[in-house]
Amino acid sequence: MDFGLVYPALVASRLFLAFAPLPDALRHDHQLSSPLTSYPRLQEGIYLFQHGIDPYSGGMFRHSPLLLSLFSTVLPLNDVTSKLLWTTCDAISVWSLVQIWRTRQRLSSTSRDGLIAAIYLLNPYLLLPSLALSTSTIENTLLLLSIMFASQGRSSRSLLALAFLVQLSLPALVFVIPISLLLLTEPVSKLVSPSIPNISLNSVLAKLAKFGSYTVILTLLSTLACGNWAWVEQTWGSTVTLPDLTPNPGLWWYFFTEMFDHFRPFFLLVFSVHLLIYVLPVCLKFQHDILYATYILTGIAALFKPYPTLADPGLFLSLISLFPETYQYLRYPIVTTLLHLHSALLLPLFHHLWLSQGTGNANFFYASTLVFGMANGAALLDAIWSGLRVAIGTLPPGYEIVQK
Amino acid sequence: MRWRLAIITYIALWLTSALAAYEEFHELLTFRPLSDGKLAARFTFTTSLNGTHPRDPSNLADEDQSQHYTVFPLALGQVLREYAVTELHLNLNAGKWDYDHWGYPDEPGVGTGAELWAWMGESATRSVDERWKGLRNALSGQFCASLGSLDDQRTTSPELTFRPEGSLPSSGGAHRLRHGTLPSEHVCTENLTPFLKLLPCKSLSGIASLLNPHRLFDTDWHGLSVHVRYLENEGIEVRLSFQSVFDPVRYTGGRRAWSLQSVFDRVIDRSCPVARSSEIRVAIPKEENNAQITPDFHNSDGEHAIFDVLNASKPLDVAMNWVNESAFDYNTVLSGVPLTHISVRRTLKGSSQSRGRLAVSITNNMPITIQTSYLESMPWLLQFYLHTLQVHSNGVSRDDLVSIVSCIPSVPHARPTLFQAILTLPPKSTLDISMDVIKPFLRYTEHPPDAQRGWDLPPAVLVPLLPANATVLTDHPELSLSEHKMDGFGYPIRSPRRMYTPVLLVDLATPDFSMPYNVIIMSCTLIALIFGMVFNLLTRKFTLVRVSSEP
Repeated sequence: MDFGLVYPALVASRLFLAFAPLPDALRHDHQLSSPLTSYPRLQEGIYLFQHGIDPYSGGMFRHSPLLLSLFSTVLPLNDVTSKLLWTTCDAISVWSLVQIWRTRQRLSSTSRDGLIAAIYLLNPYLLLPSLALSTSTIENTLLLLSIMFASQGRSSRSLLALAFLVQLSLPALVFVIPISLLLLTEPVSKLVSPSIPNISLNSVLAKLAKFGSYTVILTLLSTLACGNWAWVEQTWGSTVTLPDLTPNPGLWWYFFTEMFDHFRPFFLLVFSVHLLIYVLPVCLKFQHDILYATYILTGIAALFKPYPTLADPGLFLSLISLFPETYQYLRYPIVTTLLHLHSALLLPLFHHLWLSQGTGNANFFYASTLVFGMANGAALLDAIWSGLRVAIGTLPPGYEIVQK
Repeated sequence: MRWRLAIITYIALWLTSALAAYEEFHELLTFRPLSDGKLAARFTFTTSLNGTHPRDPSNLADEDQSQHYTVFPLALGQVLREYAVTELHLNLNAGKWDYDHWGYPDEPGVGTGAELWAWMGESATRSVDERWKGLRNALSGQFCASLGSLDDQRTTSPELTFRPEGSLPSSGGAHRLRHGTLPSEHVCTENLTPFLKLLPCKSLSGIASLLNPHRLFDTDWHGLSVHVRYLENEGIEVRLSFQSVFDPVRYTGGRRAWSLQSVFDRVIDRSCPVARSSEIRVAIPKEENNAQITPDFHNSDGEHAIFDVLNASKPLDVAMNWVNESAFDYNTVLSGVPLTHISVRRTLKGSSQSRGRLAVSITNNMPITIQTSYLESMPWLLQFYLHTLQVHSNGVSRDDLVSIVSCIPSVPHARPTLFQAILTLPPKSTLDISMDVIKPFLRYTEHPPDAQRGWDLPPAVLVPLLPANATVLTDHPELSLSEHKMDGFGYPIRSPRRMYTPVLLVDLATPDFSMPYNVIIMSCTLIALIFGMVFNLLTRKFTLVRVSSEP
């Protein structure tokens, strides 16, 4: 497939979909946008800001002040501009994804480009949140931009994109180390023949310091835009204290709805730290191919972040198109697919039965989020397995593979 | 030596009591036949403590002066002084006040459930919020009501709507308002008993002897209220009031005729000896001239027949009869025009448990444009999407008719929304305001035991404001919104006519209450499984082993 033809066609059909008459309920759907990424809440925050009420004084608005200042000054948010902006974000994401693939293959164009673009744009987990104007689409775009610049070795742009992403969503901190390492290594696939890269600790620290200074600058800019520090508690703080228990496809909300009050701080700490402890082991194990480590970490973040939407696992699933060398070593792709199919059908159904129809109860939806968690977990485990397994290659007859 | 000391003590005591605050007790019962055949009755017991002033909050750290009262309720006085409360209003109501047919109530606070508001001076030693907490706990014990639940999640300061009804002492710091409503609280006998204990004659004699709980809590609407206010140059005044709407048509089987005996199942046998005045007033219907009041009344101010209970012959049984009326005709009720300047309806639309739409429709019954303030003091159980606010006047979009005065957004688990706006109502038209709301998801410990019932939401409060154009008022004197019928004690003189909408019920999504352990176990199992398998892959190495002996 010719990318020059497929890409405009896909973007055009995406634009067409954006302006198609879609039900308003899409924007309020709990699976497509969380309280941190919801479009109506963004509108509410901008409305409050423009009427002289500090939007961070209440619990309604939890978006970054950067989005607030962008949409209340430069780019007024209305139906047309937002649809165009979200389509542009998707187009940029696809472009970045294809660029990452090309850099990894060291080719200026491949026959797979069109397929990769299609896998991203036609993924319902990504398409629907984007049509619902969830800001998780913007988060995905920033992450892909950051990875693309990191693959190309453009350190400032990559770390700046990442710093913007962290402003929007605190769990993106798990990508700081892999992207810093990616800047110091080649994005070329070394899964088949792992070799320890030569990375000096000082150069990693330099990247981290650079990221830190960008974050500090953006934080100060945010504070300047709001006039006070209340936004920190409302945006970043909410990913740690979970004040809003609106259902989402993740594992946190029902756990903390049902949590005993005296254990709440303890488990909030456990869950927050749990998300971070994967970073170093994954980066160490896949230090020969940091892009693959980044890919694994997108899966982990999608599974364990406090306010996930379908766009988070969607990104992980679409990124698999970058690693065709691992496909033949996947152990149970059919099972994973069926689990995903199962939960993708049950999630909206049980959500509707519980909250709109009134015939189901919360346990139904909780059970389907558990299945969804299992599906993502299965995909993640299979990805780790095949990423490691590919190094051994085809087994000679009479041999089996074991873990020591 | 000893007898001299005794004499000095005696003289000192005598002087103290003579110089002590001069106390007065008045009681009043008013009856007002309503247009739909109902009968509104209001008991008012006013105790004034002349020549005193509320405790200065800046002296809260010091020992308070000792309190000696003769008719002033000590239990209430102690609470007021302990928390240095300048003005206090507590309403406990049940039922929905029907403004269209009953007109404005004599006591304006008719919102369903409990409502407490207080003006308190600022103090460096104990903050207003700290004293507010103490006050509601003390009153909750005093009146056997769950006012302790009026916590920070329901407390606001809507200073525009709830102005002080008395005066605020000029000395001391600035005064702050604290207001809270608890619409699910119900008034019943257990609240009336402590209420009666605050009266000097309890329910043994005088007008208070008519307070028969069996009848009072059988009415269409009933509510008790406690009002404390400070009047400069006069003193502190406590007004205990009980308001109820009886249905004599139901008691008599079709006729409106009533008597103390038929309504309260009691008559007045003796008067309360400490009462300075004790009166029963019956409003004389203007339109109907067949109304007959017995026995002969002592006095009349043109609109009321006045009975002086102190001098009346006992037992006293006031009665009212409509001559030649065999059955009350409800058709006149249906065709009647609303008795208030505006009529308000508030509804919560949508069946989803995650979002809905709040719609308020306000009809201006007057031939002139009037303005009204609109207050929503909403717990975080309903969160407003202000950007979806839509205003329609007679079907035409008119965003200019609503101006938002202030809005304090809610904080989950902590603070309610305070939304105040000024609405302009074109003459003889209906203003429809609506906005999207979202319903939050609560922790399982935050739900009440009967979680599926839903949550009562407090009433919205509207205060019609004076028309800007003064010439309109001279043309239409009946429109004057500040005009009040005085009832002998000048109540209510400065209180604007607050109107309360009925309460709403919101249906919030509930988690499963039976399985916190199961959820913790299942979620943790999934996380532990994935964690274990990921680290199993990450920490171990792949090796090849020969499984068959063949080459």
